[in-house]
Amino acid sequence: MSEPRGGGCAGLLTGHLLPVLVAALFLLPLLWMITTSLREAGLPPPRTIEWLPESPSGDNYAAVFELLPFGRYLFNSLAVVTLAVPLTIITASMAGFAMALLERRSRVALVVLSVALLMVPITALWLTRFLLFSWIGLTDSLLALAVPSLAGSSPLFVLLFYWTFRRVSPDIFEMAHLDGAGAISVWRRIALPNALPTTIAVAVLTFILYWSDFISPLLYLRDQGLYTLPLGLRQLQQLDPTDWPLLMAGAVMLTLPAVLFFLVVQHLFLGERGFSGRRR
Amino acid sequence: MRNPPSRLIRSLLAAALALVTLTGGVAAQADSGSVSFMVFGDPAELAAYRELVEAFEQEHPDIAVELIHIPSMSDYRLRLGADFAAGDPADVVLINYRRYAPFAKKGVLEPLAPYLRRSDVISDNDFFPVATDPFRWRGQLMCIPQNISSLVVYYNRGLFDAAGVAYPSDDWSWDEFLETALALTADPDGDGMTDQHGLGVDPSIFRLAPFIWQNGGELAVLESGLRPIRLALDSRAAREATEWFVALQTEHGVAPDALAEMAEGSESRFLNGRTAMFLNSRRGVPTARRIDGFEWDVAALPTGVQQAGILHSDAYCMAAATEDKDAAWAFIEFANSPVGQAIVARTGRTVPSLIEVASSEAFLDPGAAPANSGVWLDTLDTLRTVPVIAAWVDVEELTGDELRRAFYGQASVDEAIDAMITRTLPFFAGEES
Amino acid sequence: MRRFSLSWQAGLWAMLLPYLVGTLLLVGLPALMSAILAFTTYDALTPPVFVGFANFRLLAADPIVTTAIGNSLVFILLAVPLRILGALGLALLLLRPRRGVSGYRAAAYVPTVIPDVAFALIWLWIFNPLFGPVNVALGALGLPQPGWLADAETARYPFVVMSVFQIGEGFVVLLAALRGLPREYFDAGAVDGAGRWGSFRYLTLPLLLPWLALLTFRDIILTFQWTFTPSFVMTGGDPYYATMFLPLLTYEEAFDRFRFGAGSALMLITFLLSAAIIGGIYLLFRRRGYTADV
Repeated sequence: MSEPRGGGCAGLLTGHLLPVLVAALFLLPLLWMITTSLREAGLPPPRTIEWLPESPSGDNYAAVFELLPFGRYLFNSLAVVTLAVPLTIITASMAGFAMALLERRSRVALVVLSVALLMVPITALWLTRFLLFSWIGLTDSLLALAVPSLAGSSPLFVLLFYWTFRRVSPDIFEMAHLDGAGAISVWRRIALPNALPTTIAVAVLTFILYWSDFISPLLYLRDQGLYTLPLGLRQLQQLDPTDWPLLMAGAVMLTLPAVLFFLVVQHLFLGERGFSGRRR
Repeated sequence: MRNPPSRLIRSLLAAALALVTLTGGVAAQADSGSVSFMVFGDPAELAAYRELVEAFEQEHPDIAVELIHIPSMSDYRLRLGADFAAGDPADVVLINYRRYAPFAKKGVLEPLAPYLRRSDVISDNDFFPVATDPFRWRGQLMCIPQNISSLVVYYNRGLFDAAGVAYPSDDWSWDEFLETALALTADPDGDGMTDQHGLGVDPSIFRLAPFIWQNGGELAVLESGLRPIRLALDSRAAREATEWFVALQTEHGVAPDALAEMAEGSESRFLNGRTAMFLNSRRGVPTARRIDGFEWDVAALPTGVQQAGILHSDAYCMAAATEDKDAAWAFIEFANSPVGQAIVARTGRTVPSLIEVASSEAFLDPGAAPANSGVWLDTLDTLRTVPVIAAWVDVEELTGDELRRAFYGQASVDEAIDAMITRTLPFFAGEES
Repeated sequence: MRRFSLSWQAGLWAMLLPYLVGTLLLVGLPALMSAILAFTTYDALTPPVFVGFANFRLLAADPIVTTAIGNSLVFILLAVPLRILGALGLALLLLRPRRGVSGYRAAAYVPTVIPDVAFALIWLWIFNPLFGPVNVALGALGLPQPGWLADAETARYPFVVMSVFQIGEGFVVLLAALRGLPREYFDAGAVDGAGRWGSFRYLTLPLLLPWLALLTFRDIILTFQWTFTPSFVMTGGDPYYATMFLPLLTYEEAFDRFRFGAGSALMLITFLLSAAIIGGIYLLFRRRGYTADV
């Protein structure tokens, strides 16, 4: 552990009260999103903070589907994620693995490159990526949204796998190699199966990345039948910009899968077990 | 845990690829016998166009129409621009007269005048001139207008009755308009926050224009060749009108202020019975017909020094890149025939541009709200248009920014007028008419 | 690894191909195109026309551009320190393996998981000047209720608050870093009589410095572009350009007005600005005699 013990009043505060308050604070936006979405349609905005609406109603959720083909949007979002997450895990873990096993000079160069790539502002790329995609006819298809997964989706994921594989003793890989296994084989049969926490973390982060992606669909998709949920929510806002319960209903539908997915697996990399797997 | 990950991954990949291939690339190719038709509007408006498309497909079973619907106006605009830029627009698109000029200028629209001449079903004379004129580019009719809508006052009869205020008359004055709005602005629970507003209006130059004209002012200064060279908002008459318009909020408080508008938009307030009057064109009717909490009707704009209204019109345009132009024209012709225009008129979406249909029951049905639909026809002679220049969208955007500042009390009217003129100057330059 | 065969090496490099080639095509190529297009006029309808520095001259003369640059810089100045400190504070607070700490950590991470569009809309409501929870609470306490997004003076603060709620990544990184600190240092420190604060200041903090530096650099970049979705969804730049940030302006130039040349020039400016800030901070760190070592 990395801190000396503290006791008494200060300890009680930081140990129990403060974390609870902080956690509650961070959960407030989600809570308000849900309670606002349950407010009856057509009413004027509430005058007090409504912790729970007087007559909760699911009207808004039904209204969302009446106004827009949200079911279709959900399907499209799922399609993109279903393609992007496995692809990302494959390409990012392959790259991370390779980086971890190369000799020092190449390895350091690649790490520096990856860290530098993390620094490239995406805003510097939208425009020209859009132009590139439209020149090769890739716009207006869900594939355009999933394309980054072919390259590992983000240098961050590659680095995560890199750090994970670096912690493994090189003897294990050496033994496999001496047995005659090629690099890919070792990756597939030894490295990846032993990196489960990292794989799950990357899977979750990738899911959230593609599920929430707003800018790519905004730029690349023209056919409304291909819209994903974030774009659908934006459309909802344009139809009725101040109908808060309606918008929150749409927001809940967009948010809940991401949050639920996260909560189910978060203990693997936020909990103690997850961290014990990451210590030196 | 040795093999499952990769096998699982592989099968997931295959399934995903199949999924994406199935759903990707749905953009329609224009084969002969098929037409893509792009429209904007909320679900009520979409229903109108659906009916039209179905009726057309019954009459022309050999032509399939793909209806592309973009709910929001601004997305529609972006989509139009992007589509034309990519060289792959829908075959038939609805474009407003304020927005078609850049496309006409770039030559990406197919002039429809020759088709109209050859048509047996409709001819140029069948339309109201005030509707077709704005769509003549360099003397040639580019698009067929569906609409001669204009700005009117939607009002909530229930709120008028409750406050004992007389309904608007046909020739009510600016003063009467203001008095009515004041009488209908109230704070029943006395908490300092206005609960009911007398008026809801979008502070844009498109809403302000008729009031400027009514006060004897002009929107743009015209050069000798009738080419607009700059905004004319600094004239005495225009300034007066702008001050009066802005004062509706800043001084009299009959319209919601910035905070109130952010909390609940004016249109929503009207539809939910919390605002007595709302300025809008015929476009608002399909949605308004879904109101069930109160009775509503429409009235003409008030009259200033003179009468003036502002044209709202969109038209069916054909893309020059369309492959099957004859099929596209068949659809446009049907949509603007008495039969087609009657279908859309019945849904309340349009004030038909065909003279014959406008005076028919399709539009003037006494059983369909609003009861006073005739007001759109009665005020036809007073309708004027904004200047049709390629960069008008930019002008509207910039003037909107400045006007909003003044309307919400964040800048003086003089400051706003000066900024509007200066900032829009570059957009009038380089215009050949 | 010298003992590994050539085919092994080849296999490794082959595994790197998707990442490297993909990144080259998806990042390198567009970046290069940007740099070139910045010196042209291009509306995507007709081929690009070379115009030299004209775009930059026009942009420099445009008050909205200078406003956007100012807004972005001020935002970074406000948001980044708060985010880093927030992440550090969270990591320290939730460091010790107590019962339920996993739940608290998850709760702190939740806002980061909420998709951008939904996140923007919920805060649009939360900061609604008349009926949103923030002003209702302020009103109940008798405090003044600012206009937030309706008022040019206060419009940037909701954005700052929003960005501080999404510190999940930094939080996890620092958590991992703190967990990884070698125990011997602290035991020795305790023996020497260092108190909690002393131990933190002279032991923990210097050891964390590489991570904090890396996090700060990445955060500056992230924060620069983070403003796009919130400003696009919540205000569109209003009121009167108070929330017009560089990414939003870039988008409008390119996709609203089809001025891809000017848009590319703006992107180049954004990139150079962030590089300059990072370079400056890096030099600052180096002068203090420390080097980043991962």
